[in-house]
Amino acid sequence: MLKIKDLKKNYGDFFLDCSLEVNRGQITGLIGQNGSGKSTTFKSILGLVYPNGGNITVFGKDYHDLTTKEKENIGVVLSDSGFSGYLRIKDIVPVLDNMYRTFDKSYFLEQVQKFQLPLNKQIKDFSTGMKAKLKVLVAISHDAKLLILDEPTAGLDVVARDELLEMLREFMEKDENRSILISSHISSDLESICDDLYMIHNGKIVFHEDTDVLLSDYGLLKVDEDQYHEIDKQYILRVKKEPFGYSCLTNQKQFYIENYPKITIEKGTIDEVITMMIRGLQK
Amino acid sequence: MKGLLIKDLKLMMMQKNFFILILLITMGMMFFSDDVIFPLGFLSFVVSLFAISTISYDDFDNCNAFLFTLPVTRRIYVKEKYSLGLILGCLAWCLAMLLAFIAKSIKPEFPMPLADLFLLALAILPMVFVILSIMLPFHLKFGSENGRLALIVAFALIALIGIGINEGMKWIFNFDILQWLNSLQSLEFGTVVIIEFIISLIILVISLNISQLIMQKKEF
Repeated sequence: MLKIKDLKKNYGDFFLDCSLEVNRGQITGLIGQNGSGKSTTFKSILGLVYPNGGNITVFGKDYHDLTTKEKENIGVVLSDSGFSGYLRIKDIVPVLDNMYRTFDKSYFLEQVQKFQLPLNKQIKDFSTGMKAKLKVLVAISHDAKLLILDEPTAGLDVVARDELLEMLREFMEKDENRSILISSHISSDLESICDDLYMIHNGKIVFHEDTDVLLSDYGLLKVDEDQYHEIDKQYILRVKKEPFGYSCLTNQKQFYIENYPKITIEKGTIDEVITMMIRGLQK
Repeated sequence: MKGLLIKDLKLMMMQKNFFILILLITMGMMFFSDDVIFPLGFLSFVVSLFAISTISYDDFDNCNAFLFTLPVTRRIYVKEKYSLGLILGCLAWCLAMLLAFIAKSIKPEFPMPLADLFLLALAILPMVFVILSIMLPFHLKFGSENGRLALIVAFALIALIGIGINEGMKWIFNFDILQWLNSLQSLEFGTVVIIEFIISLIILVISLNISQLIMQKKEF
C-alpha cells in the first residue's frame, strides 16, 4: 500500500531520515514527540513538501504520478490543515460530491447527524472535537483504500478520542483490504488500534514492532546494582540509571521471568518503551 | 475542477454584501451619469478579482495543504483560479452590458450608438484578462498580503523598464514607441480590439504557465 525508503528531508538543523511500510489490511502507527518528524513524513508522503532524497510509493507509484482517480482512494487528515473555516458542512457536501465519484453522501450525512455536527455553522466556530470528527468523516466517506491520518486525536478528550477510534475500527471492518497510517503522540490511542508501530525520534525511526509482540514480549526489568551485573544482557535493548539501580528494556520478557524469578519485571507499555528508547542507553 | 469551483463559489457567497454594494455603485454610475463605459469596466474588474480573494481564503490557516490531498493536482488548482477569474469577469461584463443597455434605453439623450457602445465595452474584456494575468501569479507566489506589495513594486519596475526601453530605442534607433502606439489609433477600432484580444490571450497563457510553475515549486 505505502512504502517509504530512506526518505530524507532537511529543515535547517532538522534532518529526517525515515523508512516505513504500511501493508494491506493493516493499521500502522507512527508515534513520536512533537517535532520528531511525524508531520514532515506525512507531508512528504502526500507530496506537500519535496524530499531531499529517498523513495515514496503509494499503491506502487510515486505520489506525484498518481492520477486524480487514484488519489480518490486516499483519505487524509492533517493536523494543521483542513477545509476553510469559513465553509459550513452543507457547503462541503457538494464539494466532496463533485470531487469523489464514490462519495457516500447519505453515510456522511448520517454520521454528521449521529455526531451532532451542525450543518449550518461555519467550521471555524466548531469545537476542537467537532473539527476532528469532521476531518475523519471526510476522510472515510469516499471508500478510500488508504487513510493517512496525522494526529487525528490531538486535543480531544477521552470520550471524543474513543468515538473517533471507533469510527476508524468500523472503517477497517468494512473492507479487509483497507489500510491506515496514523500518527499520534498519545500512545494509548495507537496501542488500541494499531497492528504495528513505528517510533520516530529526532527525525529517525528508532523502533518498529508489531503491537502484539510489543505488549506480550517487551518488559521493563527493575534491578539493583548486583542484579544488573548478574543478569544475562543479550536481550536487553536499553538501560537507564535509576535511584534504585537500573531499568532495563527487554524484548524477551519471558526469558527473564523464567531465569531470574526474583527480578521485578513490569509489562511493556508503549510509553515505557518510548521513554527507554529515547532516554535509555544502548547496552 | 468542478468541486474546487463550487468551494470557491461558496466562499465568495460570504462576500455577497460587498458584491451587492459594487452592483449598486455600478448602477448608480450608469443611471446618473452619461458615462457607461467606466462603470462597465469597474464592475468587470472588481468582480473578476473576487477570484483573487479565494486564494486568500485558501492560504488562510494553511488550507492549501489539505486541498492538495484531495483529488486535485496543483495544475488543476491553478487552472481553476484562472477559469474562475475569467468566468466572473465575463459574467460581470455581461451583467454590466445589460445594465448599460437598460441605461441607454431609459435615457433617450444618451449619445452613443449601440454598436459603438458594444465595441468600446468589448475592449474592456482583454484588459480584465491582462489584470488577472498579472495579479494571479503574484498572489499565488507571495500570498495576499505580500502579493499586493510585490504587485506595486512590479508595476513600478515595469514602468521604469518601459521608460528605459523607450528612451533607449529613441537614443539608439531613433524610434519612439509611444508615438508608434499613438499611430495605431488610425487603425479601425474593431481591428484594435481584435489585436487587444490576441495579445491578452497570449499574456494569459504565459501567466497561466508561470503560475503553474510557481505552484509546482511551493511547499505546504
